[in-house]
Amino acid sequence: MEAYLGIDVGSVTTKLAALDENDELMAHVYQPTRGQPIEMVQRGLEQIKEQLPADVDICGVATTGSARYLAGVIVNADLVKNEITSHATAALSYFPEVQTVLEIGGQDSKIIIIRDGIVTDFGMNTVCAAGTGSFLDHQALRLNMTIEEFSQRAMDSQSAVRIAGRCTVFAESDMVHKQQVGHKIEDILYGLCQALVRNYINNIALGKEIKSPIAFQGGVAFNQAIVKAFKEELGAEVIVPRHHELMGAIGVALLVHEEMVNNKKSKFTGFQVSEAKYRTSSFECKSCTNLCEIAQISTNGQTLARWGGRCDMWERMPAEETR
Amino acid sequence: MRISIPHMGNLYIPLKALFQRLDVEFIVPPLTNQRTLSLGVRYSPEGLCIPFKLTLGNLIEVAELGAETLLMPSGYGTCRLGYYARTQEQVLHDLGYDIEMIQLGVSEQKFFGLLKIIKRLSNGASWFDIISAFRFGMRKLNALDRMEKLVQKVRAVETEKGTANRLYDEVISAIDEADSDKVLEMVEEDYSIRLDQVPRDSQDRPLIVGIVGEFYVLLEPFSNFDVERELGKLGVEVRRTTFISEWIKFSLFLNPLGIKEKDRIHKAALPYLKRDIGGDGWESIGEKVLHNKEYDGLVHLAPFTCLPEIMAQNIMPTTRENIPVLTILCDEQTSKTGMLTRLEAFVDLLERKRRGSKCDRKMVAI
Repeated sequence: MEAYLGIDVGSVTTKLAALDENDELMAHVYQPTRGQPIEMVQRGLEQIKEQLPADVDICGVATTGSARYLAGVIVNADLVKNEITSHATAALSYFPEVQTVLEIGGQDSKIIIIRDGIVTDFGMNTVCAAGTGSFLDHQALRLNMTIEEFSQRAMDSQSAVRIAGRCTVFAESDMVHKQQVGHKIEDILYGLCQALVRNYINNIALGKEIKSPIAFQGGVAFNQAIVKAFKEELGAEVIVPRHHELMGAIGVALLVHEEMVNNKKSKFTGFQVSEAKYRTSSFECKSCTNLCEIAQISTNGQTLARWGGRCDMWERMPAEETR
Repeated sequence: MRISIPHMGNLYIPLKALFQRLDVEFIVPPLTNQRTLSLGVRYSPEGLCIPFKLTLGNLIEVAELGAETLLMPSGYGTCRLGYYARTQEQVLHDLGYDIEMIQLGVSEQKFFGLLKIIKRLSNGASWFDIISAFRFGMRKLNALDRMEKLVQKVRAVETEKGTANRLYDEVISAIDEADSDKVLEMVEEDYSIRLDQVPRDSQDRPLIVGIVGEFYVLLEPFSNFDVERELGKLGVEVRRTTFISEWIKFSLFLNPLGIKEKDRIHKAALPYLKRDIGGDGWESIGEKVLHNKEYDGLVHLAPFTCLPEIMAQNIMPTTRENIPVLTILCDEQTSKTGMLTRLEAFVDLLERKRRGSKCDRKMVAI
C-alpha cells in the first residue's frame, strides 16, 4: 500500500500526516513539540506507524515547519519545503477557489493571498508573537483554565470589553486592569479575541486585499471565539477546514507525492529511526574572525549535518567523528 | 596615531590601502561577529537601530586593540545616523577609552574636506602622496565592486553551489594584499576569467531580485543575514544599485558638478512620495518603480525602527508598478530560520508567477 508522509515540526506542535495514492488522509498525529523537535519526530513516526497498515510502503517523505531542516535530516526527506508553500498547497487541494488563507500557529501567523490558484503575496509576523497560539495559551494558563475552556467561555460573551491588542504586554496589563474593575471574564476573553484579530488585520494583513473564499488554518482555528471574531471583523464567511491543524503536513505530503513521479525511489530512512539516538551540539567556529555558531546533529558518532556558518565550510565537510 | 573605522562591507580594504601608503597605522576591526553584536547591544540605547549597535561594537573592539583615532560617517541629509558619531564618542569616553572621533560628513565636506582630514591624519604628507594614495584606494574599491557584481551573477547559475562564494572570498583577500596597480590589475583579470569559467546550469535565465533599502544593512552582510548569498543558493540573481564605489563617485565628484544619479530614482518615486524623508526611503520606492520591468521581485531591507524605511515599506504596496516586495527587518536576531522561510516562499511565489497561471489548479499551489 502506497503512502506519502508529511511532517510539520512547528515551534509548539509537531504534526504528521500520511496520504494514500489518491491523496486521502490515512493517518495523522498531532502532538506538542515541547522544545524537543527530534524526539517528537521520532515519537510521531512511532505513533503513525501503528495507525498505518502493516504492508505500507512509504513512497515519499517531506518536512516543513520551522524545524524542517533538522527533521529532514532525521528522516532523510525527499523534499524540504517552507510552511507558506505547504499551507497554500493544502488549502488549494481542498478549496480550489480559495483566495485568502489565514494561518495562525504557535509562534507564527501568516496570511497567504491566492489569485487564480497561484500565491501572489504573503505576509508573516516579524519580531512580535502577539496574536499567536502561544500568547493565548499563556493567558489561559494565567486564568487557570484550559485553552478549550477559554474558547467556550469567550463564546458566551454578551458584550465584549475592549482590550489593546497591539502588543502582548499591553494586552495583558489591559486584561488585568479590566478584571480588577469587575468586568466579566467572558467579556474580557472575547475582547482579547477581537483584539488579536484586529492586530492580525492591521499588521500581518496590512495592505493586503482579503477576498472570499477565506480559509482559516493552523492550531488557533480550534478556538471558536477567534473564528467568530474573524467573521465579524471581515464581514465574510471564514471556512475552517476539518483538518485545519494538519494543513502544513498535508500540503507538504501533497508536494512530495507530486515530486515522486516516474518511480523515483524514496530516501526515507524507515520507521526504525524512532529508536536511534541523536545528539545535537553546537560550537563556535574559529576558522576566521566571523566566529559563527555552528549547530550539528549526530548519531552513533557519525555527524549527519552541520549548519549555521556564514560560509559553507562545515556543510561541505564530509560526515566524520563528532567534534 | 592608530586609525580605524567601523565595518561596512569591504570598505576597510581601500582605507587600509590608502593609509598604508601614507605610513599611517590602520587597524582593521575584527570582522563583525557575535561578540561585536553583544558589545554593541550592551552599550547602546535600546531603541536605536542595528547600524548604530554594530558600528559601536566595531569601535569598542578597535579601541581595545589600541586605536586612538576613529573615523565615523556622519552629517545631515541622512537620518539619525548623522548624530551617531557624537553619541558613540560619548559612549566610548564613558567606557574610559581615550579616543578622538573624527566625523566624516562626506556630503558636506566634499572631496577637499576629506583630503584635508587625510592630510591631518597623515602628519602632513605631501599633496602628491595623498592624491596618489587616494587613487590607489579608489582603484581597490572599484575592483572589489566589479568583482561583487560578477559574483552576484555567477552565484545564481553555478552548477556547484558555493563555488562563486569561495572565489569571491579569495579575490577579496587577493585585492587586499595587492600592493601595486599592476598586481591589482592582474588579480582582477585572473579572477574575472576564473569566475567566467565557473560551470553553469544551462537552464533559462534565472529569477532576478533587486535588493533595496537602507544603505548600511544593504552593504554589511552580517546585518542582513547574508541575504544575497542565500538568494544565490536558491538560484536567484541579485541586482543592487547601491555600491560604495558608486556612492563615493557621485557624492564626492559628480554631485558637486551637478550630475546626480539619484535624480532619476527620485523622479520615478514622485507619483507616490514627493520629497526626501531621510535615509534611503525615497530611493527604495524609486527603485521599485524604475526597475519593475527588469526585476521579478524586490527584497527590501530595513533596520528595525528605521522611520524612512518603514514609510517606504508602507508606500510600496500601493504603487501601480506591481512587482512583489518582501521586506526584511534587520535587528539583533541572528537565527536565519525565519528569514529563510520567507525567502524560500518568496522565491516559490516568483517562480510560479513567471511560469504563468496555466497549471492544474486541482493539484498544486505556488
